[in-house]
Amino acid sequence: MTAFLAGVVVGIGTYLSRSIFILALARRRIPDPVLVSLQFVAPAVLAALVVALLTNEDGSVAIGAPEVAAFATGGGVAYKTRNHILTLVVGMGVLWIARAMV
Amino acid sequence: MGDALPLFVPAVPFALVIGLAVVESGINPFAGWSTSWLIFGGAAQLTLISLLGSGAAVAAAVSAALVVNSRHLMYSAALAPTFQRQTAWFRWVGPYLLIDQLFALSSLEQHAEEQDFRTYYLAAGLTFWVLWLLTTAVGLAIGPVVPESWGLEFAVPLLFLGLIVVGVDKSSKVAAALVGAGVTYLTAGLPNRSGLLVGAAVGILAGTVLERTRR
Repeated sequence: MTAFLAGVVVGIGTYLSRSIFILALARRRIPDPVLVSLQFVAPAVLAALVVALLTNEDGSVAIGAPEVAAFATGGGVAYKTRNHILTLVVGMGVLWIARAMV
Repeated sequence: MGDALPLFVPAVPFALVIGLAVVESGINPFAGWSTSWLIFGGAAQLTLISLLGSGAAVAAAVSAALVVNSRHLMYSAALAPTFQRQTAWFRWVGPYLLIDQLFALSSLEQHAEEQDFRTYYLAAGLTFWVLWLLTTAVGLAIGPVVPESWGLEFAVPLLFLGLIVVGVDKSSKVAAALVGAGVTYLTAGLPNRSGLLVGAAVGILAGTVLERTRR
């Protein structure tokens, strides 16, 4: 129930962010400083999320060498190919091989 | 629809990972899948689900997901002039479908006739919507079948890493990501995973400051 309600709240917030200029503020522009900041939302939040997912709740690191290897390889593949499917396949492949070796 | 399908292919693993993440997080499967039609935005859905599953406070998970989706303000502002010429019902329905891919497609059609734009937007948007709901359901269905030892929970941060790497096209964005990650690590012990919000905020600030000092 809590999870569903959380989805409702985020859903409403998302609709508002997608609709506010179209429905209400069509003649307004986003102030330039805000526009500059908005482009950094995705990289900053996603990077913060990655770290949050790879650490325990007490702040200790939750991963070992296989995960680091998979992460480095996946990052390299993403950079070279810009292909998310390939990134996942190669990254997970390296993870399984490295875990089998450790 | 023809334009929408090629753009959906990269979204397939994303949708599958969301389904898997719902299983992994232990939240109610229907509630988890419902984020697909309630939110209809992969990054925010995955943020909410994975954070709820990792013991974050509901308020922290909701805030993080909302911050992730605040980028849609840019799309809304960019398409507002085009939507001004549209009928009222479309101005209300259209924004619900406004995901990254649809923004990319429809911003190329801004000079089309009213009726043509509407048809194009709805056809592409609804194609994404139907495929998204189906594919996240498939992820949810195969999740319990996959053995624990495959470590599929690792696919979530891996996918986020891919999104970061593909999305950063200048050094100020690299800085935003690195500072966001570093500060989140330093504050990772804060209660309810709130360090994530601190890290994200400082990362955004770092990118902004760098961008402005360079002008």
